[in-house]
Amino acid sequence: MPGYNRAELNVEFKIVVSERAGKPPQEQIEAGLRVANESGLAAHESGPETTALAGGRSEVLETVMRVIEASLDAGARIVEVKVEAQEETGKFGEPGGRRNRTDPAEPPPTS
Amino acid sequence: MSRSEATPIAPTRVGPEPTISRPGGIGQSERRPDGVPKVTGEFEYASDMWLDGTLFGATLRSPHPHARIWSIEISEAEAIPGVYAVLTHEDVPGRKVYGMEIPDQPVLAWDRIRYQGEPIAIVAADHPETARRALEKIAIDYEVLDPLADAEEAMRENAPKLHLSGNVLNHVHIKHGDGDAVEADVVVRGEYEIGMQDQAFLGPESGLAVPDGEGGVDLYIATQWLHVDQDQLVESLGLSPEMVRLTLSGVGGAFGGREDLSMQIHACMLALHTERPVKIVYDREESFYGHVHRHPAKMRYEHGATRDGKLVYVKARTVLDGGAYASSSPAVCSNAARFAIGPYECPNALIDSYVVYTNNPPCGAMRGFGAVQTCFAHESQMDKLAGALGMDPVEFRVKNAMTTGSTMPTGQRVEGPTPVAELLERVKAMPMPEAAGDGPRDLRELPGGVSNTTHGEGVTRGVGYAVGFKNVGFAEGFDDYATARVRLSVTDDGPLVEVHTAAAEVGQGLVTVQAQIAHTELGVERISVLPADTRVGSAGSTSASRQTYMTGGAVKMACEAVRERLFERVKEEFGESPNSLSLEDGSVVSGDRMVASLMDLLDGEDIEETVVHRHVETFPLDANGQGDADMQYAFSAHRAVVDVDTELGLVRVVELATAQDVGKALNPQAVEGQIEGGTAQGLGLALLEEIQVRDGKILNASFTDYLLPTILDMPPVKMDILELADPNAPYGLRGIGEPPNISTPPAIVAALRDATGRELPRIPVRPEQIAGVATQPPRRSPQAGGGYADIGDIRDRSET
Repeated sequence: MPGYNRAELNVEFKIVVSERAGKPPQEQIEAGLRVANESGLAAHESGPETTALAGGRSEVLETVMRVIEASLDAGARIVEVKVEAQEETGKFGEPGGRRNRTDPAEPPPTS
Repeated sequence: MSRSEATPIAPTRVGPEPTISRPGGIGQSERRPDGVPKVTGEFEYASDMWLDGTLFGATLRSPHPHARIWSIEISEAEAIPGVYAVLTHEDVPGRKVYGMEIPDQPVLAWDRIRYQGEPIAIVAADHPETARRALEKIAIDYEVLDPLADAEEAMRENAPKLHLSGNVLNHVHIKHGDGDAVEADVVVRGEYEIGMQDQAFLGPESGLAVPDGEGGVDLYIATQWLHVDQDQLVESLGLSPEMVRLTLSGVGGAFGGREDLSMQIHACMLALHTERPVKIVYDREESFYGHVHRHPAKMRYEHGATRDGKLVYVKARTVLDGGAYASSSPAVCSNAARFAIGPYECPNALIDSYVVYTNNPPCGAMRGFGAVQTCFAHESQMDKLAGALGMDPVEFRVKNAMTTGSTMPTGQRVEGPTPVAELLERVKAMPMPEAAGDGPRDLRELPGGVSNTTHGEGVTRGVGYAVGFKNVGFAEGFDDYATARVRLSVTDDGPLVEVHTAAAEVGQGLVTVQAQIAHTELGVERISVLPADTRVGSAGSTSASRQTYMTGGAVKMACEAVRERLFERVKEEFGESPNSLSLEDGSVVSGDRMVASLMDLLDGEDIEETVVHRHVETFPLDANGQGDADMQYAFSAHRAVVDVDTELGLVRVVELATAQDVGKALNPQAVEGQIEGGTAQGLGLALLEEIQVRDGKILNASFTDYLLPTILDMPPVKMDILELADPNAPYGLRGIGEPPNISTPPAIVAALRDATGRELPRIPVRPEQIAGVATQPPRRSPQAGGGYADIGDIRDRSET
């Protein structure tokens, strides 16, 4: 198998709807979820009415700010947010790394 | 807490005493210590564990593959005498979802069901029957939804989304050379399909959770990776890592199916809630719903070659059905891409691999993950291309075989011995089994066996070849490591080495190998391999053919560190240079001269070292699928000889011959066992093993209906084991567990094609396909007085 390969940052958010807002409760929730869905980040339900976003730190933080804005704009009063950084994301190297080693005598680098 | 740190508190349950063995060194065939107890029934599997006051846990699962839950009513279940707890998602103290990489799977479902068998509620009771009756009293109000059961359909834009971020869980794109923007003299195309195989480990999921009375819990569990279980448990139980301690219990096989959590969180929740030990054991049916399976796949390939038989390009598109949750699907998808063209040199490739959420059972790790699927496709294509070129299939493969210095489609240069051509030539050179004589034949040697379906008429022999490969260890930039602690001491019986790791012995023989390594490195006769637990740092998973490489390497390094300290002590006491010293038979020697015995040197001052072993750095793939993603490759080739009853579609595999490079056989007997076992599992996939899923529902959740090969199905295995040392690996070894499983199925199917002349694009191959009968009966109305309407007239089903 694969490996334990968690995202750098996980955010869980819950949109608390307002009964007195101009838009119906479902629209208040969907406004935020739409932003999450369209972000390209891994987005999953993580509990009743709770959504998780996972990915790189800057992308996740940027997306969650847009989620909050969209939810508030739609009339929601509260967005509960929990941000969790993975202590050990267990990655090294950059995508596409070490392809240009052409000398067969050169040993592969060790960590 | 870092995963490499230890959990300090002693376990709450005393398990079987660690055995002290007297192993030989590496390279010797050693009997495994658990061999006799397993045969005599004395071995303690996870399902055998017991403590006074233990309660029995049970799980309520959804009968529907796709549904909404409107309400869960548990009061009637709670009222049953003997029931101690009925828990739902509301009782999950921490994160309500889990997953090794992507936490997308509910511990207990709250409002949506995504696969048949998804857990909804758990019960603890004083008797298993009481627990079962309590499950029946839990009332769930479902709204049943149409299942999304086809991966290709799930990829469509208008398909209902099973998860917020859509149904395509991962897509790996590889462009190598000019991709497919080239022309070839000869082009062949093919579409291939592989069914859902089960790991079919014989010991079902089981574990015992024991509360420690201080808010923490000990879990004794059959698993493949203690620390990744612990990480997920900590999150869902809302406890600190020190409060959740895991010890490996007796594991009855794994093959990837124990890499994800099954009952771990449930048992701990119930134990913490009731303050009593809780044991959960799945039965066989529940086991089919309780773990992930091998991904079914549909693969579309196009190969182009020059007239003289050199590959020009390969185009491959693979769609893997990931089922309802992520598990390790992203890695499986990546493997299916990286190994899509096989161990061949090809200057151009365009590869797209997708894994998709559906309402089918979740799929994840299984021996050879990703490479098994694509090996069937690329080897089928190589045969087809050889046929189109009028070349011998082995000669064609040899002509295109990867060698040291070849470039993978990912741009990675292949290092170290790369004996693809040699393996093929060796299996081809092995003597063929005897052809059937003219006289009467023993029924047991014929397809159909003693069912007396043929006396040899209609039986045709076929021969097929295949070669496969896969990476060893974790790839794509994952920081892969294993930890080992080694202590050298002296007891009343003499010197003793204790080896402590968290590496899961799942039946592959790692305990024996660890003891052999310790004996080799420290020259001590008595070795004790302690039970694996989280009191020592992570050893990573027992998967990806990595454990002897990674944990074996860690044990070797820890022994070396112990030896270094011992020799420093010798230097201090006797003035001997460490460079001149060695360890033999419990003594430190310099050349032929004994310097000191370990008894004298240690004298109550034990030496203990803990080390972490990492393999070479790897890198994630970039947007074009380029990067040095792998640390080692393992290769194997198979030749299959089959007898086929072409009228009834019955098959007898007469012989399987294989050649595999293992780098260094640390325990040759165990290596042979791995190769035979992997070959048997490959035979199962080629001919028998498939979880039948219709509209998201499993139709054959039993070993009566899910067909496993038995000893009667398994032919003799001729093997040729090469030991071409990998200069970067401990002792030069190469991972061995997966390759036999990869190259067996395409070799068998190639032999079936040779015998029948049929295309056979799908595995497992069914008798209908071999006999040329449509796999589905014609749809027509039942006829009066018929009784066979569902089956249809066999003449209507003949393929033209």
